[in-house]
Amino acid sequence: VDANRGSEAAADVRTADDERPDAVRRLRIVAGYVLLAAVYGLTAFLSLRLALVEDNITPLWPPTGIAVAALLLFGTRWWPGIALGALAVNLPITASPFAAALTAIGNTLAPLLAVWILRRARFRTELDRPRDVVVLLFAALSSMVVSATIGAGTLVLSDEVGADAFWTSWSVWWAGDSMGVLVVAPFLLVVWNRAHHRYPPPRRLEWLELFVVLALLAAVSVFAVTSDASMLFVALPFVGWAAWRFEQSGAAPAALLVSSAATWAAVGHRGPFQGGDLVDRMITLQGFNATVAFTAFFLAALVSERARSREALERGAADLEARVQRRTTELSDANQRLASQIAERRDAESRLRRSERQLAEAHEIARIGAWEWDLATGEVMWSEEMFRIHGVEPGAFEVTFDKAVEFVAEADRPRIRRNTEVALEQRRADVPDIEYRIELPDGGTKHLHARSRFSLTDDGTPVRMFGIVQDVTERHEFEREHRIADTLQRSLLPSSFPEMDGVQVAARYLPAELGVAAGGDWYDVIALGGGRLVLVIGDVAGHGLEAASLMGQLRTAVRAYALEGHAPGAVAARTDALMHEVAEEEMATLLLVALDVEAHAATIVSAGHPPPIALGPGGARLLEAELAPPLGFGQRARFGASSATLETGDMVLLYTDGLIDRHDLAIDEGLGRLLAAADANRDVDPEVLCDRILAAMVSGDVSDDIALLAVCLTPTAPGDLRMRIPAEPDALSQMRRGLARWLDAAGVPADVQGDVVLASSEAAANSIRHAYGPSRAWVEVEATLSSDEVRVVVRDRGRWRAPRGRGGRGLAVIEACMGSVEIERGGSGTEVRMRRPVGTKVAP
Amino acid sequence: VSRLADLVVEEQDGAVVARVSGEIDLSNAGTLERGMLDSVPNTAAGMVVDLTGVSYLDSAGIRMLGEMAERLRWREQRLAVVAPEGSRVRGVLRMAGAQDVVAFEDSFDSALRAVVGGP
Repeated sequence: VDANRGSEAAADVRTADDERPDAVRRLRIVAGYVLLAAVYGLTAFLSLRLALVEDNITPLWPPTGIAVAALLLFGTRWWPGIALGALAVNLPITASPFAAALTAIGNTLAPLLAVWILRRARFRTELDRPRDVVVLLFAALSSMVVSATIGAGTLVLSDEVGADAFWTSWSVWWAGDSMGVLVVAPFLLVVWNRAHHRYPPPRRLEWLELFVVLALLAAVSVFAVTSDASMLFVALPFVGWAAWRFEQSGAAPAALLVSSAATWAAVGHRGPFQGGDLVDRMITLQGFNATVAFTAFFLAALVSERARSREALERGAADLEARVQRRTTELSDANQRLASQIAERRDAESRLRRSERQLAEAHEIARIGAWEWDLATGEVMWSEEMFRIHGVEPGAFEVTFDKAVEFVAEADRPRIRRNTEVALEQRRADVPDIEYRIELPDGGTKHLHARSRFSLTDDGTPVRMFGIVQDVTERHEFEREHRIADTLQRSLLPSSFPEMDGVQVAARYLPAELGVAAGGDWYDVIALGGGRLVLVIGDVAGHGLEAASLMGQLRTAVRAYALEGHAPGAVAARTDALMHEVAEEEMATLLLVALDVEAHAATIVSAGHPPPIALGPGGARLLEAELAPPLGFGQRARFGASSATLETGDMVLLYTDGLIDRHDLAIDEGLGRLLAAADANRDVDPEVLCDRILAAMVSGDVSDDIALLAVCLTPTAPGDLRMRIPAEPDALSQMRRGLARWLDAAGVPADVQGDVVLASSEAAANSIRHAYGPSRAWVEVEATLSSDEVRVVVRDRGRWRAPRGRGGRGLAVIEACMGSVEIERGGSGTEVRMRRPVGTKVAP
Repeated sequence: VSRLADLVVEEQDGAVVARVSGEIDLSNAGTLERGMLDSVPNTAAGMVVDLTGVSYLDSAGIRMLGEMAERLRWREQRLAVVAPEGSRVRGVLRMAGAQDVVAFEDSFDSALRAVVGGP
């Protein structure tokens, strides 16, 4: 039950009537008055049959109860209905209309006073609190003094009773009204509230049980009031039962029943009321009725209150349980979260371990050593890789700062100390990166790149220094080579040569090993079409990027002028003029050899450059050019051209002075050695020639850049065979068929064909087996025919590798098949040159 | 076996007879060797390799024959090669000094006799 559900002494409720049209509203009010008056009057008429004094005083006056209940429930503004009813009742039984009006005023005022008292006391019409019952008792007993006094006084004044009967009248009147308020009003209130569901809903069979109790009570009451003995108290347990079991719903009818029975007995002098005068009987009846009503309602209110508190307790308990449940759920959730956090942490730890391992491995691969220096203890910690970088076993010695510095190259130590000191002084965490050299126990040197930091406390005091060093030795070396090669290869030197029938070109470039700058040497081969070719070689004085960039410009200029069709002398002159324009301070030598391949004619222009070498069957000779100064030397020079005639198979060799001008050799001596080296290799192809010349001329360090360009005028007679086959065993049969067809077409006898094919296939197979790795590569086969012999060259570009397994048998076959066999193994590949006289069977 | 050479294997008088025709070089020697060796059961007295139909043979082929002879020798089986006198193959074998590693015969019959024994 909602503890607040009871309506505290219903205040005047402004009803919906207020909004209705006045006429309707007034009609309804009047109707209400009339209805209330009718009910009042009818009840009064019935009650008067119990009149004890004259015809107008009864010991139980229900109209007053009705009045109180009505005013409580509907509001005091309904008092006119009460007044009307009271007047109507009193008019016929009172001596004069005045007396009747006076009595009616008393009958109206008393309920109004009772209602006023009740409302002041915050009475609740549900009567479900003991205090309501007490308040009701007080209001009933006190306010009815008004009606009793006015009523009895009027009776006396109008001479309806004698003055001596005033108290008798008064007591009956007071008792009747009080009983009306105490017994009838609660009954009506309970019925009303029950009807409006202001009580807990009835239990199962409650009505039946109530009926049984009331029936028993009625029987007991009848017995009590009809028996001669004073047995009224017998009814009390039943009243108690009704009140206890059904609370207000039981107490109200029980009290009404018993009171009515008692009143009836008192009126009729029955049972307990057989003796005594009127006043005695009234006092007894009043006391009994008041006791019954009070006890019944008080007990009911107690039970209600207890039920409410039990319910509150239960609700509290349920609430508590719900809260415990919720808390438990929260706890278990928290538990679960904790468990998952623990699992996550375990995961994180294993990830951490893994990443630590990966870090160590990464350090090893990247050659990164880590170190840490505790400034307070002076302790230095090196990672394993740190020890390895320093060329010692991990943990080989106790590391200290001084010990670590001992590794550093003497010259770099001040820089390192300074670097650290500056950061320390300035209380900065950042330490600039630094590169330095260390000297290893084995005498080697390494370049290290170091990054480090200080770890500072909040107030900026350094407590720890830590960092990494990376071994960048390789990078240092690599970067240098890379820079040179990259610059030269990409922007300055041709990456390939024009293919031209009858010409074979090879070139070499050797960067100087000292210093880090690219040199200014360059070479170029320009195809002009129509079997004409310009060979270019040049040397810009100086080194470094400036020289390299000028070299690039000159190369482009020479190429552009040559392609425009200028003669070599004009090309040189224009390039010279251009150089005055773009680089006044610089100088460069330049050698141009224009070749007419078919005419075997060479035109040579030299701008201060060493002369080219021609290499033919007759030996090596210098091709002298007209003397002219280097480009950029001075006043516009003239560059005269000289001519030379060459033979098929002749080779022209262009070079820069790095090849012959060496610190340990006079320049003439160098040139002499070059001529001798060329002379010794007149029968090799340009690639091999280049390699051999470099091998003969260059030993140890290259102090100056060397560029070398070799061009061979190859035979162009129709009928020569050139084949290039993939270096794969499956290609061999195809090569054999091609070679056999060519030999057949050339009229070579069948037995010679077989030998040549066999030998060539063996040589090619040898290349395939030995020369290359598994990647794609090629084998070249060239066959030429002269009047008396077949020449076959089998060439590969792979690195020669010692034969695996039984390699000798193939060579035996080749030698058995061919008249002469030369095998040339060079850095650029292997060449097998075979000759077989035609018409002579060589094999045994 | 491969497009360059054909191999036919049969059994005769307890010996395995392999007839090769076509060309033998670096590209197919290994395959041929496996093909031939795989066809020799342990019970066979040996193998006759008939090269009569071979138009080209080089050192790869000779290596192949040498290795076959060696492998068969481990199993105490004999190898005879038919390469008629005057043939191209016979010339190559002689050039390469192959007589040291394998026996070659003029005719199939003599080769078979060399393997299984008899008159």
